[in-house]
Amino acid sequence: MKKWLAIAIVTLAACAVFTGGAFAQSKKTVTIWNYWETPKHQETLARICKDFNASQGKVEVVTKYIPFADFKKQLSIGAAASELPDIVIIDNPDHASYAGMGIFADITDKLASWPDLKQYFAGPLNSCKLDGRLYGIPFGSNCLSLYYNEDMLKAAGVKPPKTWDELKSVALKTTKGNVHGFGISAVQNEEGTFGFLCWLWGSGNTSFQINNPNGIRALALMRDLVKSGAMPKEVINWTQGDTMNQFISGNLAMMVNGPWQVPTMRAQAPNLKWNVVTLPVGAKAASDLGGENFGVVKGDKVDEAVAFLKFAASPAEMKTYINDFGYIASRKDVADGQFANDAVMKVFSAQMASAQPRGPHPRWPEISDALSLAMNESLTGIATPEAAAAKAQKTIDAIVK
Amino acid sequence: MNRIKRFFGQGNIGYLFVLPAAIYMLLLVGYPIISNFILSFQDVTVMTLNKPHKPFIGIRNYRTLLGDGVLLPSLVNTFVFTVCCIALQFIIGFALALFLGRDFSIARPIRGLLMIPWMIPMTVTALMFKFMFSSNVGILNQFLQACGLIGQPIEWLLQPRLAMLSLIVANTWIGIPFNMILISTGLTTIPPELLEAASIDGANRRQSFFHITLPMLKSVIESVLILGFIYTFKVFDLVFVMTNGGPVNSTHLLSTYSYKLSFTLFKYSQGAATANILFLILFVVSIAYLKFVYDDKETD
Repeated sequence: MKKWLAIAIVTLAACAVFTGGAFAQSKKTVTIWNYWETPKHQETLARICKDFNASQGKVEVVTKYIPFADFKKQLSIGAAASELPDIVIIDNPDHASYAGMGIFADITDKLASWPDLKQYFAGPLNSCKLDGRLYGIPFGSNCLSLYYNEDMLKAAGVKPPKTWDELKSVALKTTKGNVHGFGISAVQNEEGTFGFLCWLWGSGNTSFQINNPNGIRALALMRDLVKSGAMPKEVINWTQGDTMNQFISGNLAMMVNGPWQVPTMRAQAPNLKWNVVTLPVGAKAASDLGGENFGVVKGDKVDEAVAFLKFAASPAEMKTYINDFGYIASRKDVADGQFANDAVMKVFSAQMASAQPRGPHPRWPEISDALSLAMNESLTGIATPEAAAAKAQKTIDAIVK
Repeated sequence: MNRIKRFFGQGNIGYLFVLPAAIYMLLLVGYPIISNFILSFQDVTVMTLNKPHKPFIGIRNYRTLLGDGVLLPSLVNTFVFTVCCIALQFIIGFALALFLGRDFSIARPIRGLLMIPWMIPMTVTALMFKFMFSSNVGILNQFLQACGLIGQPIEWLLQPRLAMLSLIVANTWIGIPFNMILISTGLTTIPPELLEAASIDGANRRQSFFHITLPMLKSVIESVLILGFIYTFKVFDLVFVMTNGGPVNSTHLLSTYSYKLSFTLFKYSQGAATANILFLILFVVSIAYLKFVYDDKETD
């Protein structure tokens, strides 16, 4: 009797488990990993998900924050342990690396019939591709431009520089006492590479060429600025945030930085008189394309993820969030007229025309390391621009060829 | 069944008690070490991480590393860093232990206060030193300039040699309390009668220090130096935060370089190989430590 009772209970329990499982499956959960640390960004992302969840009854989208410093590590470990989210919001140069690692789903065919794809700018869209196949879509873009302190330039009797030579002379003329004329972020990592590439590309090179007169000219520009005292050597320890802090504290007359600093600068230094112009031009106009992409992770929820992407990327939805992120829309129909009343953001919008993506290459981190090392070597005077360029080229050639 | 019973019956029951610990060590210590060694003989990078078959390439990772121009300097850096830190920490820690051992009225509170560097989280200390050593706004340069000792700011973290020196200073500051407290404890085990008898026999302070205090502290000193070596050799957070291996890879230690290879450049196998070199060196040192402890027990 006891035995029968036990079997009955187990059977009932098993039924409960299975039906419970069936209930849970009726609504699929899609997880998004992101690394945005400001509350405004988190709130806005949560709102997009809420809008999507309310728009249909089949998929529930949730977000998970992972600090930027840990993000790539978590993603690599997750890939090895098969514990990945369904969508990743990822820094655009890393997209190709992770696509090469095989964690992203090829969604080329799923988006082939999506008319909106034609609206995307080529630069951001290319950063989602590897070997011509699409592994995600751009979230939003930004780029680098030149900020300057209006009072300091006026006091020195100079105008914002338009060429590399003008940059050197203006930077020197505005250098006085504790104030340096010019600053960039030159740390030896991806952030520093980001700060250097606009000069390398401006010389006429691609991301993969450095050991030629153009590349050496770009490295020499960095060295000359430090040598003349116009740029502090300490930039090798400055993140973009540090550079912005030095600028709003009045220690820098000019800096290279992105539009995501604008909201902070307006809030923290309301009395500082500053403005933005497009970057000084070497051989050609160039700037770095920054920003994030949506990457769709391989698995059984690709269709649900793509549905969310289409929703978040629709012009109506994108208009509700893109300004709050301080980003420039990656699609033309939204970007046009995005900043009708904001002169500063208009400059960044105009700079986007010359913004290029880094790489893309699945082994971009190694190429990036070689480039930022070369910049650091010439900046600190540890190696001449010629020697630094030759060494970096050797590393890059071993990867690319 | 009977054979098992007989086995434990013959006074071998001890093995059973050791079993949980042995399984725990095998799973959580042994397995990672072995899998790390296997990883270092394979070619695992971004491109091969998720492939079922990982190509076996023998010692090629180690060869590549030896020729890459960063690993060998990192190895030298690690030794220079460790030896300098240990020497400074030990001497200063020993001096403070002797000084505070004289039991004057505020000796106890001072000893307590001196423990603070040991208790502050390493990243906080690292950030603090990074600010202090900053060449334009750092307090150290401002102080030196205000005293008129230097004209131009010193580029503490911007020159390879000086950056290494700054790291050594920071880590020494952190390690002094550890040395001090262990040596203080050792000093209390020396019977005061011994020193008293020596002074009655006419030994001066120097003689009683070198012939009584030091020999009596032999085993404590061995432990302090070897544990200090292990802690210092594998230091990571301090360097990661203060210089992150810069300027121009000049302050990489084995630990930070291994991290960079694995998690910045995604060369997992080379990162594992670097970690293994670190492991082997520490393994040898640990064996030496165990031998010292064992020998001391024998002579007791």
